[in-house]
Amino acid sequence: MARKADKYADQFPEAALAPAERLQFMNRFTVARASTCISCGTCASLCPYGVHKRIEGHAKILPPDDRGCIGPSCEVNYFFCVANCPTNSLSVKQSDNYLALGDPRWSAEMILATWAQAETGEPLPLDHPGNVGRSGGGFDKLYFKLPEKAQGFDPEKMSTAIELNRRREGTRISIPIPVYGGGMSFGSVSVSTMLSRMKAAKMWRTFVSTGEGGYPDALIPYKAHVITQIATGLFGVREETIQRALILEFKYAQGAKPGLGGHLLHEKNTPEVARMREAVPYTSLFSPFPFHSVYSVEDHKKHLDWARAINPKALLSVKVSTPNDVEMVSVGSYYAGAHIVHLDGGYGGTGAAPEIAKKNIAMPIEYAIHKVHSFLINEGIRDQVTLVASGGLRTALDVAKAIALGADGAVIGTSDLVAIGCVRCGNCESGRGCPRGIATTDPELQAIIDSDWGSMRVYNMYKAWRLQWLDLLNRLGMTDISELRGRTDLLRHADHPAKEVGK
Amino acid sequence: MFKRYHIPIKVVPGRAPPVPKFVITRAANCINCGKCEKACIFGVHKRSEQDSRKMADPINHLCKNCFRCIADCPQRALTMAAGEEYRSLGRGVWTSLRLATMWSESETGKIPVFGAGYRGMFAGPNYDGMWTDMSEIVRPTRDGIHGREVISTSVDIGRKVLSLEFDQSNALKSDVPPLIELPVPVVLDVTRLRSSNENIIIGCARAADNLGSLLFVHPEKVPSEVMAQAGSHIVPVYPVGTELDSIEIPLSTRMIEIEAGSSWKDDVKNFDKWFPGVVLALRIKAGKGVEDTVLDMVRSKVAVAHVDYDDQGSEEGQGDTRHAMESLRAIHKTMVTKGIRDKIAVIAGGGIAAAEHVPKTIISGADAVVLESAIEVALECRNCVTCSLGSCPVSITGAAPDWVEGRVTNLVGAWRDQMLEVLGAMGIREVRRLRGEVGRAIYFDDLERDLLAALEGGAKNG
Repeated sequence: MARKADKYADQFPEAALAPAERLQFMNRFTVARASTCISCGTCASLCPYGVHKRIEGHAKILPPDDRGCIGPSCEVNYFFCVANCPTNSLSVKQSDNYLALGDPRWSAEMILATWAQAETGEPLPLDHPGNVGRSGGGFDKLYFKLPEKAQGFDPEKMSTAIELNRRREGTRISIPIPVYGGGMSFGSVSVSTMLSRMKAAKMWRTFVSTGEGGYPDALIPYKAHVITQIATGLFGVREETIQRALILEFKYAQGAKPGLGGHLLHEKNTPEVARMREAVPYTSLFSPFPFHSVYSVEDHKKHLDWARAINPKALLSVKVSTPNDVEMVSVGSYYAGAHIVHLDGGYGGTGAAPEIAKKNIAMPIEYAIHKVHSFLINEGIRDQVTLVASGGLRTALDVAKAIALGADGAVIGTSDLVAIGCVRCGNCESGRGCPRGIATTDPELQAIIDSDWGSMRVYNMYKAWRLQWLDLLNRLGMTDISELRGRTDLLRHADHPAKEVGK
Repeated sequence: MFKRYHIPIKVVPGRAPPVPKFVITRAANCINCGKCEKACIFGVHKRSEQDSRKMADPINHLCKNCFRCIADCPQRALTMAAGEEYRSLGRGVWTSLRLATMWSESETGKIPVFGAGYRGMFAGPNYDGMWTDMSEIVRPTRDGIHGREVISTSVDIGRKVLSLEFDQSNALKSDVPPLIELPVPVVLDVTRLRSSNENIIIGCARAADNLGSLLFVHPEKVPSEVMAQAGSHIVPVYPVGTELDSIEIPLSTRMIEIEAGSSWKDDVKNFDKWFPGVVLALRIKAGKGVEDTVLDMVRSKVAVAHVDYDDQGSEEGQGDTRHAMESLRAIHKTMVTKGIRDKIAVIAGGGIAAAEHVPKTIISGADAVVLESAIEVALECRNCVTCSLGSCPVSITGAAPDWVEGRVTNLVGAWRDQMLEVLGAMGIREVRRLRGEVGRAIYFDDLERDLLAALEGGAKNG
């Protein structure tokens, strides 16, 4: 069953363009044309971005299509329309649409940059504003100390692969990129969304977790890339879904609602979802917290042993949240037999969670990673644990920062959704669900997402991310991403510039 | 028989027009094709009822920021902007998001649940830089959120004796002072509200009755029929300088509060003699050395220290004022060090602007939390402080008592449920055990210090 991934992943398909008409709406700038315009057509003849147009034979010029506009910084160009307008009828400013998109964690720039990467597979420059949010803390305050651009860059000789089993025994699985897909249940998202992620995972030879809503049959063709999640509600967990998987994930807690069970509000629990979960349709499903069979590390071991008895070859992952004693939980998980310790931080994604839990319960992931990493080193078992982090990792650089803080890799959820067109409006929880057809079970809405198109978008995003990791490794003089693990000395904190002098 | 505590919530719609978070503008080049109506699943865009050839003005408060209409408009005639009015709401800890959240909690009585992850700032000052702990695997946890396990939110307000003494015949010798058990660690206070009137007081008194809690109010403002109906839930508050021996209280009164003046020690000297069986609360302004004042209150046998913070949750005064987070911690610690913490109950008000502030205030060391401005926000107050000029955009004083009762009950109901979430996550089965549990809280400063140490400490590749 051993699966050896190519250490140097150079034979992955090229990124293929995956554009979407419905994601082309955003205009960063608004170009306003006053009524004093005489439709002389100067602007139309000047603008190379197609903002100003006149239909052949029409007397009046069309209203500006400002999606292509590059904004006031255009003033250095000879073709700047505002300066060239003979009647001073044009003005340019930042658009209201742009200001209404996103939030401090996922800034408008970050959403647009993720869409662009998903469309083209082209990486962002490491200092691109789309790589950092404006939440004023954590990853958004951590930067790499980058040396000057290094010469000679041979991506063929560089590796971003990580091992998922660092124990001496058991199935060996490595994945060519240091990320796999986090659990998003059937019910919280549609089957097309799940399939988009699974197909991309197949192309990348990595994995995606089912989430706690069961294992829809549509995923069976991708079973070599599916992680079966066993969560507290045990929704849809069956012997065959456990036996089918190469990795089993025990979800003790989810970062966005630590200490609370999963939430699926009644409107999204459609008959198909209910059948999968063996529940009554249109009732709200709150899975319990905790596993009532686990009240100690000894119970936890029994739990893992039970899964191992059903599927002896599978790797075991334990997904826990980030309380004060997260390092004890991690050590306990290791001694109970887990291969992967998965820390899910408080600022992670969710289909539905109480607002109070998202901000106020358990610590942000940035702090937990290093806490656990150092503790495992002191215990002398760091080299036998695969530590993965999730919960608020949005970009390639967030993943790299998490690795520098001490993780082996990362688990990604929300970014996948943004890649397939999520605008982060935050209405996944109720009603018909997602207006953009992603986190919904509404038959009409979910038809918006075509899983082939979606998988290409997710694939492209990771293609772009991988190139950014290679760029970063090259700048840091490394050839393997595992060299980056725990290199906190390469990070600086933007609020404490003095501290880096001592280095 | 055991009766489970239950807060009666029901939907109580707002009276004022909603404040839209997003405003959609339709430009003049709209061709009324109706694609936006098809695109919007929230019903923002509708055809005009007067003239179905035209689109009506967008119903902005239904907009949820999904951009579908913007993307689908063939004319690019639609623009979405963050609502001006929404963005200008609130000051300091009373952010626009918190106001809107409280309005919806007061309307529905439900826990706000939304999709997508956390969307705000990473951390902030005081309570915004504090996380509560949770427990998993290695510690027993509680599943109280949906009533599967009982979590108690009861607290004791009053003075406790630290041990009981009995005589030879096993009869109780100790003098046991009166104690009030509240089923929820939240009390209401209208004495500092900018816009309290008779209807609001009646509504709040009934809400306190629904909740089994207390309402702090100046007694002369309480209509006599309310006093008769809900007297045991009303705490009369007497201003500085009131002669205690001159006041008359109904038999149902369980607690009396006096505002502390310079001679408060003399004022309260004979309280037990004059008002046996009644709990004495003393109200003080938080400020420098507040912990010593509370210590003096224990010596003077005051049962409840009611500590007032300003509406941002800070001590009053100039210069080095502490936030309640530190100030309460100092009070609690002083009492614990002297071994007398249970000889007084501490209740704290001011700056309580969100559900999470209740458990956070209790963790900092209070026994219960006093709601003040939050009551006004439940009544749709926009925190615009024009009330001092005699005008109110939501005419809060026109609210009927029933409406006030429902809104305030809902708010406390939603907040209690959210406290259950926090307690359940922490594996704590009663809120009494939360008091002063700073070990179960996580502070930004500590985490940040550890992170910086890690950045300076160098590589550990493992």
